[in-house]
Amino acid sequence: MACTSGGKSDVATVPEQFPVGLRVLVVDDDVICLRVLEQMLRKCMYKVTSCSQATVALNLLRERKGCFDIVLSDVHMPDMDGFKLLELVGLEMDLPVIMMSADGRTNLVMRGIRHGACDYLIKPIRDEELKNIWQHVVRKKWNEIKEHDYSGSMEDHDRQKRTIDDAEYASSVNEGADEVLKTQKKRRDSKDEDETELENDDPATTKKPRVVWSVELHQQFVSAVNQLGIDKAVPKRILELMNVPGLTRENVASHLQKFRLYLKRLSGVAQQQGGLPSSYCGPVEQNIKLASLGRFDIQALAASGQLPPQTLAALHAELLSRPPGNLVLPALDQRTLLHASLQGSKCIPVDQNVAYGQPLIKCSSNIAKQTSQPVMSNEDVLSEFAAWSSKNLGDMVPACNFGTEVETNSNMLISFIQQQQQKQSVIPEPGRSINVQPSCLVVPSQSSPNFQTGNSPVSVNQNCGFRNLAMDYNNPLLQSNNSSGAGQNMEVECKPVRMHSEFGTAASVSSASSCSKNIQDSACQRVPSSPSTISVVMQIPTMNRVPSSHSGKPDLVEVSTRNPIYVGKGPSIPSRFAVDEHELPMSNMGQVKLYAENNGNKVKQEPNDLTENATLKYKTSWLHHGLVAVTENAACNWFLVSIVTDPALIRQNTNQEVESVRHAYLYDFGSGSSVAVRLVRHLKGVGRVKGGAHIFPVANCKGWIEKKWVNRTRSLGDFWQKVALLV
Amino acid sequence: MEVDQLQRSFVEYSRLLFHEGFLDGQFSQLQLLQDESNPDFVLEVVSLFFEDSERLLNDLTIALDQQNVEFKKIDAHVHQLKGSSSSIGAQRVKNVCIAFRNLCDEQNAEGCLRCLQQVKQEYLLVKTKLEALLRERHDKRVVHDLNCGFIFQLEQQIVAAGGAIPMLNEFC
Repeated sequence: MACTSGGKSDVATVPEQFPVGLRVLVVDDDVICLRVLEQMLRKCMYKVTSCSQATVALNLLRERKGCFDIVLSDVHMPDMDGFKLLELVGLEMDLPVIMMSADGRTNLVMRGIRHGACDYLIKPIRDEELKNIWQHVVRKKWNEIKEHDYSGSMEDHDRQKRTIDDAEYASSVNEGADEVLKTQKKRRDSKDEDETELENDDPATTKKPRVVWSVELHQQFVSAVNQLGIDKAVPKRILELMNVPGLTRENVASHLQKFRLYLKRLSGVAQQQGGLPSSYCGPVEQNIKLASLGRFDIQALAASGQLPPQTLAALHAELLSRPPGNLVLPALDQRTLLHASLQGSKCIPVDQNVAYGQPLIKCSSNIAKQTSQPVMSNEDVLSEFAAWSSKNLGDMVPACNFGTEVETNSNMLISFIQQQQQKQSVIPEPGRSINVQPSCLVVPSQSSPNFQTGNSPVSVNQNCGFRNLAMDYNNPLLQSNNSSGAGQNMEVECKPVRMHSEFGTAASVSSASSCSKNIQDSACQRVPSSPSTISVVMQIPTMNRVPSSHSGKPDLVEVSTRNPIYVGKGPSIPSRFAVDEHELPMSNMGQVKLYAENNGNKVKQEPNDLTENATLKYKTSWLHHGLVAVTENAACNWFLVSIVTDPALIRQNTNQEVESVRHAYLYDFGSGSSVAVRLVRHLKGVGRVKGGAHIFPVANCKGWIEKKWVNRTRSLGDFWQKVALLV
Repeated sequence: MEVDQLQRSFVEYSRLLFHEGFLDGQFSQLQLLQDESNPDFVLEVVSLFFEDSERLLNDLTIALDQQNVEFKKIDAHVHQLKGSSSSIGAQRVKNVCIAFRNLCDEQNAEGCLRCLQQVKQEYLLVKTKLEALLRERHDKRVVHDLNCGFIFQLEQQIVAAGGAIPMLNEFC
């Protein structure tokens, strides 16, 4: 039966007379009930739309997003179970849903609550009961605001996350990644800003000034931390050392927290076997990209101060997030990082392995060691890196170990890979890469020769690419770097990807390619092009085979994820997506899946090719049934964490990767939303998901309902593109 | 005068129905919901109820007639009938439905059949009464709108309805 919409022409909504004009959608297959409810609601001065079929109601909700405030649904309906509708509405549109039934048995009511109903009314419903349904709308809105506030408040958020992380190490890694992502996102947001700025990214009514950690600022932070020593670095002292006007201790504290988390995460990753949190990969990747960006930058960074491993990590993160953007150094725990590197150091050959990762590490280590070491000669750097990287890589390795990482972004990743591969002969570009950055991306562009393992051509590029990333946080730098080796890098980028394919790891390839692409793009084209799509590869336990598979592919950051899961994070912010033109990642992404199977030629795809059509093409061809987990950083930037296309994997991995995601937004590609729903519920149950989990059917890409997304992506289509490409 | 009578009779009749348990508070709610913008609300809802219930009773009969009785399906039907009768305030029907559902849970086919008969009975009862009530309401309204000149015709109508004859006779 069609829906009869009522009340449209009724009483004009007078905002002041809330709850007058509350837009209610009633769904009930019992027409009598429907009619009665309709009338009752009209009497309450609400705007009523009634539907006797759940499927029709769902379509209505999807089409007219934002046109309803609350949904009343019957439990027993012929075409769809009321609870299922309840879940879908909660997930897709995040509207309060009230269940109704003539059956008031406790177990049913309990089910309703468990499925997320705001309330459960027993028929016959009295009008007094309906009069107060507005409370659910208000309550939900306020909770959302509070949540925004919460996430907006880095300190609180980080603190909480920290506690959680501390409690669960494994997940902490993810959290750290999230943190990094968040910080990265923040950076991205303010990529144009060099200084600390206040930013209102809270879409909710509450506005919180936010400090944007620009690259410079982060560098200052890192150097301050290095000066003090990670153990002794207290916010107060860091603040003093940084001497930035307008920066508060709280800002520093939260940033430090993140940084520590990042480091911890890196080290934690090293410890973990497989199943790297995608978030983890993401930042790393990004970093890599950044790392490759500018040798010069790296130098600058190196010169700017000692970069402890943490810093490296931070830089990595920064790099990853956005070459041009600010570097937000994740709070990496130096210890952990070192720890991780130690663990993972197996793979790192001193000189050779350095390859990307190492150089970075070296740099960082160098940096760490020498407070103000200027660019070191390549050799020195290399050696140092090698040494350090072996330590640090260990940390990083975790990421690599899992094989996932799409590293293009960070040298760290590179280093991981290198470690993994043992042959990473990428020699960090002397001088260039070294300087930098903690991101360890230091990959001297010239080091291409290092890549050996058959990837030499690629490796070269890779190195270059990576180097660029590492080196240059900012696009400009990247560009400059790229220019130096850019030509090569560009090409290389693709190749690495291919290389991956050889190894059968598709996932990373894409990332690599994407990275490279991004680099290319960014390098060549625009500054702002942050490694848009660095895909954060969510490591699924199955993933990590790559390291073993390709040894000597130092460059390839990619994470070979067997699973098509990977997180692609474009410049990670959905908005970024819109902004970013780096289609590459996207293409790569799509490829990623393919990569696993195919050879990486796909990587080659020119990012330029990415077009709407391309994305859609990928979308339709790739997305059949899967979940996209997206995480959100404190800056409320969205990061695509992973794309899981195999529901079974989702189930398997829920405890790991997904749990690490702080805000999971699941995109269900197929009609089997039940898996997604269960996953979401699981996430919510373990407290990993804040906010809603949103399921968006593939078929309805326009139906990406989530105001938050829209706000941040600025364009649904763009985000969707990114997602599609990732897959 | 007649109008008053009709009104009174209507009230009396309603009260009777309530007293006998045919209708409950929900029905009065429905009456309250009726207003100028929805003058035929009660009539509308009651008509819907009739339609829906007859359909359900039909389905129930068929379902119980099967070789293999699908209790789940029957339960669903009964649940729906329970829902609609409770929405309308048809109390006795609702109560029988509750008993019916219990029998379904027990998978008692015999008991279900008996219950079905009972439901049908109750339904017919309440249907008659509601129809009468509505006619009275309708008539009352008609009377209210018309001039006295039509009273006799209306009286006849009322008489035909059967509920108000005694009173009218008193005044005649």
